[in-house]
Amino acid sequence: MIIAYSNPYTGNDFGQFFITFFYRFYQFMTGQLQWKELVSDEIQLLVLSGIALASALVGSFLVLRKMAMLANALSHTILLGIVLAFIITRHLALGEELSQGIDFRAMLIASVVTGIATTFLTEFFHKTARLQEDASIGLVFTSLFALGILLVTVFTRNAHIGTEVVMGNADALHIDDIGLAWKIFLGDAIIIILFFKEFQATTFDIGFSRAVGISTPFFNYLLMILVSATAIGAFRAVGVLMVLAFLVAPALSARLLTNSLKKLLWIAMGLSVLATFCGVALARHLLSVYDMPLSTGGVIVCMLVVIYIVAIILSPNRGVLARILNQRAVLNTIGTKKAQD
Amino acid sequence: MLNFFTDSVLRGPTIGCMLMAMAASIVGVIAFLRKRSLVGEALSHATYPGVILAVMLGAIWMPENDSALSLLILLGAFISALLGLFIIDALEKYLKVPADSALCLILSAFFGIGLTVASHIQFTHTTEYKQSLIYLYGQAATMTDIHILIYGLLALLISFAVIIFYKELQIVNFDNVYARSLKIPTRLINVLTFFLIVLAVVIGIRSVGVVLMSAMLIAPAVAARQLTHKLSHMLWIAAAIGLISGFLGNVFSVELSQYYSKDLPGRALSLPTGPMIVIVSTALCLLALLFAPERGLIIRLCRVLFFRHVCFRENLLKYFWRQGEGSTFTMSQIRQAQDSGRVYIFLVVCGLINDGWLIKKNGLYKLTRDGYLRSAHIVRLHRLWEVYLADYLGVGAERVHRNADEMEHIITPELEKQLIHLLQDPKMDPHQQPIPPRELI
Repeated sequence: MIIAYSNPYTGNDFGQFFITFFYRFYQFMTGQLQWKELVSDEIQLLVLSGIALASALVGSFLVLRKMAMLANALSHTILLGIVLAFIITRHLALGEELSQGIDFRAMLIASVVTGIATTFLTEFFHKTARLQEDASIGLVFTSLFALGILLVTVFTRNAHIGTEVVMGNADALHIDDIGLAWKIFLGDAIIIILFFKEFQATTFDIGFSRAVGISTPFFNYLLMILVSATAIGAFRAVGVLMVLAFLVAPALSARLLTNSLKKLLWIAMGLSVLATFCGVALARHLLSVYDMPLSTGGVIVCMLVVIYIVAIILSPNRGVLARILNQRAVLNTIGTKKAQD
Repeated sequence: MLNFFTDSVLRGPTIGCMLMAMAASIVGVIAFLRKRSLVGEALSHATYPGVILAVMLGAIWMPENDSALSLLILLGAFISALLGLFIIDALEKYLKVPADSALCLILSAFFGIGLTVASHIQFTHTTEYKQSLIYLYGQAATMTDIHILIYGLLALLISFAVIIFYKELQIVNFDNVYARSLKIPTRLINVLTFFLIVLAVVIGIRSVGVVLMSAMLIAPAVAARQLTHKLSHMLWIAAAIGLISGFLGNVFSVELSQYYSKDLPGRALSLPTGPMIVIVSTALCLLALLFAPERGLIIRLCRVLFFRHVCFRENLLKYFWRQGEGSTFTMSQIRQAQDSGRVYIFLVVCGLINDGWLIKKNGLYKLTRDGYLRSAHIVRLHRLWEVYLADYLGVGAERVHRNADEMEHIITPELEKQLIHLLQDPKMDPHQQPIPPRELI
């Protein structure tokens, strides 16, 4: 049954968006609004904030472990993983599947396989073939990505299907995607809470973790699996490239604001949700006021960048503002000292 | 094959891709040696907003002029990649952001900004938007003679820059401090290096695309590094690999597309050239990684196996020697003494007979005089090394055996001579066992 409804957000500007949102949220909580009646803006909001939370959580560890480029590699290789998962599960109608939503199990297989394969190949070239690390990462993901594009082309006979994978399309999101995004976030969160101590130890002090018997390679692989699951959950909404901004930017911004790991995770997640809300609202604002239909994912990435810039300026220790104030304080002290002399 | 150079439709993509891949490979060598191979990845994505803005401006100013638009796009991509490079540098230097995070951030942030603008012009300038999509994955098939001219000139520019500044690049890359002491402007050379990388990336995005461009910087350089130790050779080899993969990528994409479309006439398939070039260059790179004469994985594995074989042979000889001259052995005795497969032991024994060190009489094996001397020599080396370890390196006598067990297979005649000289031809090893005398051997 198709329920004909009008989107209550039509014509809203930035402020009105939030008013409508909170009103409808109130309605939802009091039971006047059904789950199925959610409109596209709310679906986007829910899916993207799930993705944002998951990415911020996993991404913080990536940034701290200096493994961000490995995440970049993963985000490329999941294309091949998806293609292979579909060949294996005999879903050869790839073109339809990609645009209609994906079987959860196939995706899980794809993410685990690509996560392990990419990390293993990179390690293999780095350690066994004695290739320097940057080159082995680059070699592995570019070749696998090229292979993925070729396979997609051969199986779907359509060269532009890859465009959707790379760019994502938040407008094509479906109500079922909400569950998927939040499932992935919950999965990430549970694993990280369970192994928080281990992740902390392997991130900051490899020597210590070896001494107490925590296997660093194991947690590297585990983190890579989480990253690929997150990237796979995100690629339909924001594409495989912009998910990197979701992974890296909140963590970098939070890093400027705190020195404690737990606080960093909370701040990163908070900032990413803030960026998502502002981004969706801004996309709606631009459409209503200036008649500019922009890619929601792109707008959120711009918001993430803005947040990072604000963090650079306002950071209490390393920020531009703090530095200027510090300098002035020092100059003032010198000035008063001189005056006293 | 030759028609790829003469045919007016195939000529553009083929020669264009070859020149592009050559330029990228040459620059890639420098990036590889500085361990900054992934900069290409960030920069190629950072070109995207420039491409989109150029497409938009081009659509407003000169909607009909195609070659001017190409130039404008090149310029836009160049400026935006330079901006990305500048920001990466600033993030690393002033905010102490780890290099990988900075690259990743710029990559995705620039791409996201480009995409936001692209989603705008998707509706306002639809035809031009389709043009900009070309740069995402690259589209070599539509390249024409004018592209050959532009890319050829730029590729030549890169090659000449590398040739002219070869000495400076070499010194700055390998010994920065020495370069500074020679009053070479290292900063300027660094700027030039990254300028060249940006240029190569910008040339490449038309044919291979933003997403895959970085492969062209990495794979040929890795392959070349496997094959040589010299920078000049490395540049030549990388350039050759670039040319070959540019050519073969085109050939495969055309031929395979025809092959796949033959049985399904209704649904013509065109395999994209860019990924094909990347696959070819990675395949070449894999070959080099596996089979390079000195550093190749398979070759190294063979060397290890051969060394183990030599060790096993010599250990077997030692075993015979230990039983005294003239003693005989049955096959089962040999098998009990050495822990290895039946067939392998048999083959090794046959090899020893073939070399004249062992003879077989009535099913019994016996060392020949030559074989006895040879075994004595191995034991001599073993014990000489033990003496050296104990006397010169102060290793305890109980710990020297294991190391000597390996070294006995490695010591060359020259090294032996030096050891004899150094230790004054000792007669006893640290375990008070006699060393077989030199005269015997």
